[in-house]
Amino acid sequence: MDPFDTVLGWQRLDPRMLLVHPVRDLVRFLPALVGILLFGRSSDGGGWWGLVGLGIPVLIGVSRYLTTSYRITGGRVEVRHGLLNKRVVSAPLDRVRTVDLTASPIHRLLGLVTMRIGTGQSGGPSEERLALDGLSTADATRLRARLLHDARSAAPRTASAPGPADRRVVLRLDLGWVRFAPLTTSGIVIAGAALGLLAQSFHTFEIMPTVHADSLARFGAIVLVAVGLIGVVATFCVLAVVGYLLTNFGFVLTRSGDDATWHLRRGLLTTRETTLDEARVSGASIGEPLGLRLARGARLAAIVTGLDKKQQGSSVLVPPAPRREVDRVAVEVLGTPSPVTAPLVRHGVRAHRRRWTRAMVPAGVLATLAVVAAYAVSWAFAGLAVAVLAGGAGLAHDRWRGLGHALVDGYLVARSGSLDRRREALHTASVIGWNLRATWFQRRAGLTDLVATTAGGRQRVRVLDLDVDAATSLASRATPGLLDQFLG
Amino acid sequence: MELRPPRERVDPRARWMWTGTDLVRFVPVTVVLLLVSGPWDWFTVPTWLWVAYAVLVAAYVGIVPQWRFLVHRWEVTESAVYTQTGWWARERRIAPMSRVQTVDHRQGAIARLFGLATVRVTTASSAGALTIEGLGQAQALDIVEELTRMADSVPGDAT
Repeated sequence: MDPFDTVLGWQRLDPRMLLVHPVRDLVRFLPALVGILLFGRSSDGGGWWGLVGLGIPVLIGVSRYLTTSYRITGGRVEVRHGLLNKRVVSAPLDRVRTVDLTASPIHRLLGLVTMRIGTGQSGGPSEERLALDGLSTADATRLRARLLHDARSAAPRTASAPGPADRRVVLRLDLGWVRFAPLTTSGIVIAGAALGLLAQSFHTFEIMPTVHADSLARFGAIVLVAVGLIGVVATFCVLAVVGYLLTNFGFVLTRSGDDATWHLRRGLLTTRETTLDEARVSGASIGEPLGLRLARGARLAAIVTGLDKKQQGSSVLVPPAPRREVDRVAVEVLGTPSPVTAPLVRHGVRAHRRRWTRAMVPAGVLATLAVVAAYAVSWAFAGLAVAVLAGGAGLAHDRWRGLGHALVDGYLVARSGSLDRRREALHTASVIGWNLRATWFQRRAGLTDLVATTAGGRQRVRVLDLDVDAATSLASRATPGLLDQFLG
Repeated sequence: MELRPPRERVDPRARWMWTGTDLVRFVPVTVVLLLVSGPWDWFTVPTWLWVAYAVLVAAYVGIVPQWRFLVHRWEVTESAVYTQTGWWARERRIAPMSRVQTVDHRQGAIARLFGLATVRVTTASSAGALTIEGLGQAQALDIVEELTRMADSVPGDAT
């Protein structure tokens, strides 16, 4: 019998969860324990204290086991916690957007998982979230099927559980993709810091001509700096690759046609399984930060209605991977190719000019300062001025090339950015409202930023620097009838 | 094709409320400047800096609230809420009535001093809340009641 069909039955966590904390503490205290076993025989007191130390986590575990329970009843999922302050957290089943199963290595050893149920209730303190730490894998799988199935239809459940037949693997991680790991945005930040370090070291050597170092020693110092830098970059690459593998090892994205869900599984030590209700996937965001873009890579996240920013991790669909894989998955998720592949409408001349002024004015100020420094301190700063201007121009050009929007097949598509470029596609039915923001400069140029607000992902899709006319027409085509009454 | 501004202006007393809130905003910096030059005696703030600071404060407090008053407008129709706020950066927000989730009535200390209130309309998107500052108290309550009634009469779960 399915234990979840009992209407009144409060279910407990799996008793094996009692072992999680003691095992974790055992690992942590292993060195101390070895010490006690080897040398502690003579001093009896130490051994006793060790036992007390192990006892406390056991007690905490027992009390948590005794006081946590959950049930599904009357179309709601309820979780009850607390010994003295009893609390019941509950949510209607039709509010369940995602179910997330996480298993740390200790959980995996014991055959347990932690379940987090993502509902539309955004924010709130952590204890208000629906989380069950320590379900057996089998119970969790059954509960998940029940949660997502009932979320979809109030109709009685069919007897057969969804079999593996209607599951189709959409994407499987290729280990070669780790090459993208150091190229993500965080990678660029660290590379930038490393370059800054390099610049600073050069600068240190340049502006200290009074140091009477013979050329050999100076050469040696430069080699030392270079070797150090290579070391830093290599370490960073290794860390990035390790991080990528820890998170994404064994990444498999599957689509289950039977209950219309996206299911993904990933992780090397701590595994994570996420199930997304397809009906709640209202769009997709293709991230192509500069580094990834140069290596023809990208990544993909789903825009899931009702998940707030704190639950973003649940919505990754493709980790950094080749662009064509990302495009393929995006097309499958959206159900139509045009939001991903359609050419975008470019923004006008005035948007072009604004990209350039926005990049070149700060660059010009910095370059002027560098020129002044070149006169006053050292000619090396002239190079900095040139570099800043070139960087500004590159940024302006790239940002301009990225700028675009479209309205195709019921999706609002917007792309912008350079270092952190994103192409976002949002279904117009999920557009809640519109924000049109224009600074004094933008108003003078007849431009405005158009923001479509939504209840998922980053909560907004922004189209930068549209001509006022184009913005109004885009918004009014995307949500017919809403703007008409306010047209002047 | 262009949006017209919303029809209704906020209460003229809002200018004085904003003058008040803007003055309060400068209090911490002023206090620190006074402490540094006076009782703590870390360094003497030169007279020109005092003058520059006073001019800045006077200009900001003199101009910005008036400018805000010219920009801030609102409108409620059968099917949507439309607001315009800001001064340097002007922001127009439109939310359909069917997506309105909550309607709040708020009153800060300075607003209460001038008999004014704020109405805040939230939607399921955290980027989409509409705020109308500087409404007369009675008017604000009327708007809240009207909005609550209209939002309730539209079906849907507002997500």
